Amino acid sequence: MTSKVLLITGGGGVGKTTLSAALAVTAARNGVRTLVVTIDPARRLATALGLKNLGSEPSPHKNEPNLWAAMLDASASWKAIAHRHAPADVADRLVDNPFFEAATQHFPASQSYASAEEMANYVETRAWDLVVIDTPPSAGGIEFFSAPAEMRDLVGGRLLRWLTGGALPGRRALFTLTARPALRIAGAALGSDLLERVAEFLMDMRTMYDGLARRAVQIEQHFRDARTVVVTTADPAPLREAARFYRELPDRVPDPDAIVFNRVLPAAWHNPKPPTDGPLIENLVRWGAEAHRQTEVRKEFAALWKTDTATVPWRPKTPTSLDDLAALIAEAKGLNLERLGVVPQ
Amino acid sequence: MLEHRLIIVTGKGGVGRSAVTAALALRAVHLGKRVLTVAMTDQTGLALHLGRERLDYEAKEIRPGLHALAVHRPAALNEYLKVQLGVPKVTRMGPLARAFDALASTAPGIREVVTMGKVLWEVRKDAWDLVIADGPPLGQIGSHLRAPQTVAELVPVGKVREQADWMMELLADASVCGMLLVTLAEELPITETQEALTWLSEHHVISAPQVVANRILPALDATSRQINGAGPGSVQEAALMHTALRDEQQKWLTELPPDLQLPFLFGLLTPPEVAARLADVWGEE
Repeated sequence: MTSKVLLITGGGGVGKTTLSAALAVTAARNGVRTLVVTIDPARRLATALGLKNLGSEPSPHKNEPNLWAAMLDASASWKAIAHRHAPADVADRLVDNPFFEAATQHFPASQSYASAEEMANYVETRAWDLVVIDTPPSAGGIEFFSAPAEMRDLVGGRLLRWLTGGALPGRRALFTLTARPALRIAGAALGSDLLERVAEFLMDMRTMYDGLARRAVQIEQHFRDARTVVVTTADPAPLREAARFYRELPDRVPDPDAIVFNRVLPAAWHNPKPPTDGPLIENLVRWGAEAHRQTEVRKEFAALWKTDTATVPWRPKTPTSLDDLAALIAEAKGLNLERLGVVPQ
Repeated sequence: MLEHRLIIVTGKGGVGRSAVTAALALRAVHLGKRVLTVAMTDQTGLALHLGRERLDYEAKEIRPGLHALAVHRPAALNEYLKVQLGVPKVTRMGPLARAFDALASTAPGIREVVTMGKVLWEVRKDAWDLVIADGPPLGQIGSHLRAPQTVAELVPVGKVREQADWMMELLADASVCGMLLVTLAEELPITETQEALTWLSEHHVISAPQVVANRILPALDATSRQINGAGPGSVQEAALMHTALRDEQQKWLTELPPDLQLPFLFGLLTPPEVAARLADVWGEE
């Protein structure tokens, strides 16, 4: 048995975490052993998932037999990654280095890479039929998929070569680093000591290269086997993120298996014919205008990128229980487990 | 708020930070100020709300009294090296900028100090009455505000250290630097804004930050009896939806009473229309 993977991506603030949880609950209730890995859930959602202790370890849900939940702790993941891929003595030195924390937060791909490596680890234990990954907000949508290649490149020495002006120095050569003209200026600005410490740190990072490069290839294979759900709302910023899945080269980004418009208003509210006036009619008219805008935006997106769109209705109350979460998927149009290949058609 | 020389606008992703920045800029221009708006980390949001496809690193006039630029990091790094560190003209910038970029990706504070440096440099220039920065998202605001400090701790001597010193002074000056925290009346944005306010008061970087709650629904002028009386159908559904959403918003607003509320805008509005409408609301306050 192998695990299926669902990757839930999209721009910030569109409800990725909620929909990840909702899909996971629905799968669990259909008898699929499911793990959902969330990032920074709202407190009430975390409570609903049984994530009281904010643990990064998958924990089974008390009242839902097929559901497990975990939270990504990128900092802890990166320490584990160092120990997995670097020689033991170097790994100890790396995680104690203050640059390690900064670098693993700074590299734009690092949170995504941590999340992707956790995904691969969970999938390979084969303890679950389905692993649902709520992808990091920092990644927008598509950057998640280039994170392994990007990390491989960074750890492999791109930064070190930039720092040294092309060559990958041996450890002894570091002490002549600031003799180079470009670096003499950087040295004067920052102190040559800092440059040497950074170069030494980057050389330690390089010891992870072979392990990390191998792992990156495996992660990319998992991406190819995964189903991708892109979540958006009818707002311009998340729509731009969603469109990038169609604009970018197909070998870098998978074709989404579903484009989900979240917080959708009923079409029945369009162009109301008010029998009377008054505050209630006025209220319907302005919400009708908003519902109309949403429909236009969705139609335009579907026509432009020749794709179907799924919709999840706007519910005024944020979900606080597993039943609330399951209801979201039950009420959705075009978004179901059959279509995502989680349960047979 | 508009008495400051610099206002940094921040907020959780998706709360409308760029729209509020653009609206505040329009409001300040309306009051006769020479304004520069700066996109610090997000390159497209502010541009769209100003009616542009993109913004350049060079400040361009958007309309009389209003200029805008975006901090593209390679350009900012070049300017930082040339203007602020006084790197001689003869030096080939490519290798040096790349070496610096490697450092900026690794050593804490360097990347942020380059971005903050550009903004604070524009404040020092005296070409503008007010600089309004579409700042980093809430999660990165601490590392940006503390960047000069972090660099000063990391680099004991040298020109970078000297630059860090005047930046810290400017940021700490309450008459120069103000901050707007944009939020929605929802759990996560409110919680994160509260955490940011605590952080700001503990670190004494910015005094008296103000909170703006965006997309707030108006009260529905109808009793629940009237809503029930409407009978099943769209009128009633829309009324129930509205009151439920508004009740939820009001609950979160009591957790963190904002200094200003901006309305939810219904229907077909382009980003520049959104900015203009919000600027009008600002004027009415």
